[in-house]
Order: sequence, then structure tokens, then C-alpha cells
Amino acid sequence: MAPRVGLRSLEKRRTLIDGVRSNIHVLMLGVKYFVNPRRMTLVYPREYPKLSEGYRGFIILKKEKCISCAACARICPSAAMKMIRVQEPDPKHPGKAKMKQYPVINYQRCIFCGYCVDVCPTEALYHVNYHDIVYDNLADMFWDLETFQREPEYKTAAEGRPVRIVIHEELGLVKVPVEDKA
Amino acid sequence: MSGEVRVYGGWRDDLGLRVIPSKRIGKDVYEVFIGPQHPGSGHMRIIIRVDGDVIVEADPDIGYVHRTMEKLGEIRGWIKPIPLFERMAIHDACNITLPYVRAVEKLMGVEAPLRAKYLRVLLCEINRIASHLYGFAIFSIFLGHSTMYMWAMGDREVFIQLAEELTGARLTHSYPIPGGVRRDIPQGFPDMARRAVRYMRKRLEEYRKMFLENPVIRSRLEGVGVIPKNLAAELGLVGPNARGSGIAYDVRIIEPYEVYDELDFEVPVYTEGDALARTYVRVEEIAQSLRIIEQVVDWLEKKPREPIVDESIYKKYPPLHKKILESQGRAKLLPWMATMKVPAGAAIGRGETGRGEIIYYVESDGGVNPYRVRIVTPSARNVIAFKYALPGHRVMDLPAIYGSLDYFPPEADR
Ligand code: SF4
Ligand code: SF4
Repeated sequence: MAPRVGLRSLEKRRTLIDGVRSNIHVLMLGVKYFVNPRRMTLVYPREYPKLSEGYRGFIILKKEKCISCAACARICPSAAMKMIRVQEPDPKHPGKAKMKQYPVINYQRCIFCGYCVDVCPTEALYHVNYHDIVYDNLADMFWDLETFQREPEYKTAAEGRPVRIVIHEELGLVKVPVEDKA
Repeated sequence: MSGEVRVYGGWRDDLGLRVIPSKRIGKDVYEVFIGPQHPGSGHMRIIIRVDGDVIVEADPDIGYVHRTMEKLGEIRGWIKPIPLFERMAIHDACNITLPYVRAVEKLMGVEAPLRAKYLRVLLCEINRIASHLYGFAIFSIFLGHSTMYMWAMGDREVFIQLAEELTGARLTHSYPIPGGVRRDIPQGFPDMARRAVRYMRKRLEEYRKMFLENPVIRSRLEGVGVIPKNLAAELGLVGPNARGSGIAYDVRIIEPYEVYDELDFEVPVYTEGDALARTYVRVEEIAQSLRIIEQVVDWLEKKPREPIVDESIYKKYPPLHKKILESQGRAKLLPWMATMKVPAGAAIGRGETGRGEIIYYVESDGGVNPYRVRIVTPSARNVIAFKYALPGHRVMDLPAIYGSLDYFPPEADR
């Protein structure tokens, strides 16, 4: 089996009868969809698509797993992730503080490529499967270390009904309601 | 400049180049600027000169979305340019980044394992369909056929959904990486893909009735914007535009990459060279891509899972990474990839995107950044066709010819 070239040519300029026939075909198709329309409208935000688990949405840090290796900040193509230094109590020397580095993220810059999640050697970063979050002002899109550890509130989920979008053989994309609201 | 140099007539050959003359300038011609704000021009301007209603000259004026891709590619390591180059044609993301990745692989001396190659082809073909449908939609709305516009855009969503299930992102997948791909197929993907293929086959039949054989569309496309075979060759057109003019040129056949030589498909070539022939090439290509997807999905389902990154990279995986690859099908990156050094040398990567052949010339001086990344995109090569396809037609044919060339400014301007 190998790819090959398929030389074809168009049919000749057609007669009037052909034209009439194709016109009728088009009209019949129109009538078919008029009687039996195939619409798929997502009434967002009353309905929202429940995205698959592998979806590359917002990125959250599990701080206790982070080993401060800075790999995530180094691989970020858009320089959205940066390391900051914070003071932490040193477990080995009680009463003393030590400096530690943690990543923070600027969602104004992030392009959701997922490199940081994939490069993290300890799986300290993970994606949540939603991305439709609105901010009142740009400054809120700089996440500090505290914000970075909490999954952002998914307001759409509080108000809307989740649907799953699946591919149907006859209808193309269809939406199926999801029962569990998680 | 001497008075005899005719810039617009095409005689200017002070570089010693042979210039193909377009039409002569008549006496009472008006200059009309189509774009860059015109809704049907995209991010470009076509300067046409009209004699009455007939275009006597056309000049594509490009560069409105130039983003210095080549220069930016020189300052951010080897793996970070992948999400960047995707931005040239986001709906064709895998096709447009794969040749770069392959060029870097050649320099690094790694090779994607067989399963990763199949996965790359899978996403490439999904992208090709989505890209053709997108072009098709724009083309239809240029012609005022809003039904086809809605249909094509809606059906493109099916393939975007497939890509999203596979990669986790709708458009900018950043899927191939040097040495492999980032994810294996998720559970239930083969059936989903088969359903999409069967659905699209039925739809293509309806497209034929609604659009391709529609007498109105035919009379607007037949014999319009004819690019004869020898002109297409001289201009160096690529992709469906060349294949619509009878040139059997497709990188997947000329120099098969990944696993294209193991798959059974046809590259449709039409000889007429008009807007209709170019449209038929694209529709036929969608049908052929559906065949490829079926074969690839069958293969992926039949064969046992194996690492989707190169041996040399897999060897360095710590146990956690191996576990994740096994349980989630996610190939993790290794920290050294961010600042890796690539052996000095130069490599060429070619590939067939939805719009034609793309070439990357990647040169390394052994450092952490590419020394040079030269990109020649298919749209950059096809744009010259405007100059020769438009003259002689009426202004109303301009959208038809523009749409049939499937020109994409962000890709051409880089
Ligand atoms: S997803 Fe990509 S752009 Fe966003 S922080 Fe991670 S590496 Fe940077
Ligand atoms: S890559 Fe992971 S472990 Fe390393 S600094 Fe980033 S979050 Fe922490």
C-alpha cells in the first residue's frame, strides 16, 4: 500500500437539464433540513460544556510537592511562569526561617501550552478542565502563591447545567446532559 | 530610477531575473484598494487596476501581520518555538510545526517511534480536514453562500473536538516534540474518530449537492481564475493550487515523511486549473484524509501501546514519568529540554500542510538557541498567483478567485 496520484478531471459544462436537476437537489436538501433541522446550540452560560479530563485548562500548583527546581519557569514559552522567593519556617531548624522558591503564574501571558505541567518532575502542577473565567481587571490575572494553590471558582458551573459534547454518526456534534454536577 | 522601468507592468528586471509579464496598463484605469479593512480581504490588501469593471492588473500587498517569526525563533531555545510557529496557522497547527520538529530531530539524532509517527499523522490529517473546511467556509461566504459557510464551520467543529480529545487543546495543540508526541490516544478515541469519519462522508455527499453542483456556484467558478499548468510551475505554486492546475506535487508523495508511505490514499490532481478545480481538489482531499484517519486509528487500536518518545529520551525517564505515560498516556518533558543544546549543523524539514509545502531550514551552532530558522510557508508561495489569476476578470470574480486560492495572510507574513 502506498500513496499515489489520482488524476481526475471535472465534468464538462453541463446542460440546462442538469442545471435544473441540481437545483432541485439543492431545494430538496433545503426542505429536508427545514422539516428536520439539525441544530446544536449551546445555551451558554445556562449550559456549559463539561470538558474531558485531559483538557488543558487553568494550571494549579500543589505546593507541598514542589521541589523548587524552576523547570516550569524555564520551559515556559511565553514567560508566564516566574519563580519567587518566599520565607518559610525551616523544618530542620525550628525557629529559623529559610528562603524557598516557588512558581507563580501570570495568566495574562499564559498560552495554555501545558509545557510546565508536562515538565514538572514531581507532578506538582496540574490542569483543571475549565478555562472560562472572567476577571474584572488585569491585575487579578497575576496569581500570587496563595491563589496559585486554589482552584479558581468556576462560576459557570454554579449557574449552568453541564453537558457533554459528543460526536454522533448522523448528527455531528450533539450535547448530552451530564447528571453528576462535579 | 530610469523612466522606462515599469514597476507594475512586470518588466522590471534590474536584478537580472526573468519576470513574467502580467497585463499591460490601459489608458483609463482606476486604482482600487481592496483591503486591508475590507471584510473579504483578510489581513492583506490587493491593489487592483480596473478598466471599467475589468481588472487589468492586480498587486497583492502583503505584510500586515508580520510577526518576525524567524527572528523570534532564534531567541527561545529549541522547544519553545513550537507553540510560536503554530501561530502562523493555528487551525493547521500540527502540520505547520511538524517539519520544524523533524528538522530538530535530524540535528539531535533522535527519531520518533512508530506509534508516535502514526499519532502525528493522525493529528496532521485531522488538521488538514479542519483547515480545508475553514478555507471552504470562508470561500463560501465570499461567494455569498452562507449555508455552506455555516455547514463547513459547524462540521469543522467535529474535527476540532477530535483534536481536543487527543491533545487537550482545541487549536494550538503543541503536539509534536523532538523525539515523539506528547499524548497517546485517550480511551474511546478510535470509535469517536470512526463516527466522525462516517459523519463527514455523508456530509461530503451533501456538500456536493448543496455547493459543488449548485448551478449558481458552478457558473461563478467554472473557467474563473484559470492558472495553466506551465504558469503554475513557473510561479512555484504549491499545495491544492498546484494540484488544481495538473501538477502532481505533494510532499507526502515526493518525499514521504512519518508513515505516509505505508498508508493507502490518493492525492487528487485536477487539470483544469480554474477555481472549481481547486475547490474539487480540497473536497477530494478531505475524503482522502478521512481514509487516512480510519487506517491510522485501526493501526493505533490494534497495536499494543509503546512509549511515544524516542528510546534515548525514554531511557532517561524517572519511574514517575514512566508511570504517567502508562496510566494517562501523557509523555512528560524532561527538564533539560528547556535549555538543551543541539549539535551544530543544518537540517531541512519539509511537510505538506493543508495549503501546500512548508520548508524549514534550521541551523544550529551547537548552542541553546537555533542559529537560524528560515521558514517558507505555502501561502507565501501562493500569494503571487493573485497577480496572474486576477487580470482579465471582473471585480465580482475577485472574491471567488481569492477564496479558491485559500490564501491565509498570517501564514504568508510569518
Ligand atoms: S501553560 Fe505554557 S504558557 Fe502557561 S505557564 Fe505553562 S508553560 Fe507557560
Ligand atoms: S517544575 Fe514543578 S517542582 Fe519544579 S519548580 Fe515548577 S512546580 Fe516546582
